[in-house]
Amino acid sequence: MLEAMNSAAAGMAAQQQKLDATANDLANTNTTGYKHQRVGFRDLVYEQTGRASAQGVRTGAGSAAVDAGRAFSQGVIQRTDRMLDVAVQGEGFLRIKLPDGREALTRDGNLHVDGAGNLTTTSGGLVQPAIKIPDGVTEDQIVIGRDGTVTAAGRRVGRLELVTVRAQAGLISNGDNAFVTSAASGAAVAAPRATSLTQGALESSNVDISQAMVEIIESQRAFQLSSKAIATADEMMGIANGVKR
Amino acid sequence: MLAEQIRQDQIANDLANASTAGYKADRTSQHTFGELLLANSATGAVIGSQSTAVQVDRIVTDFSPTAARETGEALDFAISGEGFFAVQTAQGVRYTRNGQFTLDPQNRLVTAAGDPVLDSGGRPITGTDGVVDPRRIGIVNLTNPRKEGNSLVAGTAAGAATGAVRSGALEGSGANAARSMVDMIASMRAFEAGQKVIQTIDDTLGKAATQVGSVNA
Repeated sequence: MLEAMNSAAAGMAAQQQKLDATANDLANTNTTGYKHQRVGFRDLVYEQTGRASAQGVRTGAGSAAVDAGRAFSQGVIQRTDRMLDVAVQGEGFLRIKLPDGREALTRDGNLHVDGAGNLTTTSGGLVQPAIKIPDGVTEDQIVIGRDGTVTAAGRRVGRLELVTVRAQAGLISNGDNAFVTSAASGAAVAAPRATSLTQGALESSNVDISQAMVEIIESQRAFQLSSKAIATADEMMGIANGVKR
Repeated sequence: MLAEQIRQDQIANDLANASTAGYKADRTSQHTFGELLLANSATGAVIGSQSTAVQVDRIVTDFSPTAARETGEALDFAISGEGFFAVQTAQGVRYTRNGQFTLDPQNRLVTAAGDPVLDSGGRPITGTDGVVDPRRIGIVNLTNPRKEGNSLVAGTAAGAATGAVRSGALEGSGANAARSMVDMIASMRAFEAGQKVIQTIDDTLGKAATQVGSVNA
């Protein structure tokens, strides 16, 4: 009886995780370069049941949520006509240095010029290798080519490098639209040739709202079903207790 | 009552896996213990047979394919028709119908647990630019498939399967919520009936203990 309760509780916990992930996706429907989470499920071990069953009769122990990384499908490119906005088209990331000194990857191309003239992201990540915009150059005079070459008032000042990793699902999300590499993702390598940058545009989030809503309803119902299994197990324990009046 | 508890455990597991891709639902089958032949001890006339109880003799898994649903993810795969994906695990080759895969740093197609998915020749499959051609993934038929947890199935491979692999979709769970709920209620009521039988026997024994031979009765 307790097995039934534990299996159902495991199922509820798994659905809860999925629900959390979907809620996070929905909260990020307007986040530039956001990639939605892939959460799956797996069943747990099967064990020989106790008395009242023949040898080889095994029941499962419920389910668990599985993190399958992010879905790196392309988000819609939206025109902003701001000269320091760049959208990555295809597989690839901009390389930045986080304020804490670590290197990270991002697809958020909403760039700014900081007080020292360096190109940074909204959250203060320095573009790597550093690109310095000379004094007196206005935003309108900055041109960023498809290959990432940055020209300020007609003079080449650097190039936005595009990189990628072998296994994108292994990237660790670090918040602020940044990902850091891990052993599971492999080190950063140059992005494929086909990847290009578009100036004056941003990549929108790849969350599909209608899909996310359907997933929320589905998780909620599955959660409810498992809770019914717990209620029934409880009722049966009550019945067993009722044997002695 | 004990057998119904096991059935309840099985139903709870099915319900917990209502969203697990490629999950296959179970059915619990019960069987009577040995039957006793009752006879009149005075005349020797046979009255009939009486069963002593039930036990769960088997839990059968329904491995029939479930409808796939679109996810749009390049590395989600579903098998339409019969067959299983082969996966190289630390315990040897195992099989699964849960096609939610990713690529590892060596660019191999792996399950969410990191085990390589095999092609028809038993070799790992490498992806190109984050994509894998679904036709390269091997699928096999199994004899005596047996669920092992972690979405894996053990069994003996018996040749290439007839099913076809498609990408961008996952097979739904085989757990049927409506049927599980009905089974759950039926099982609970059977459990309750068991309780009533115990109480009735208790009443009878109580009467035998207190009323038989009583002067006031």
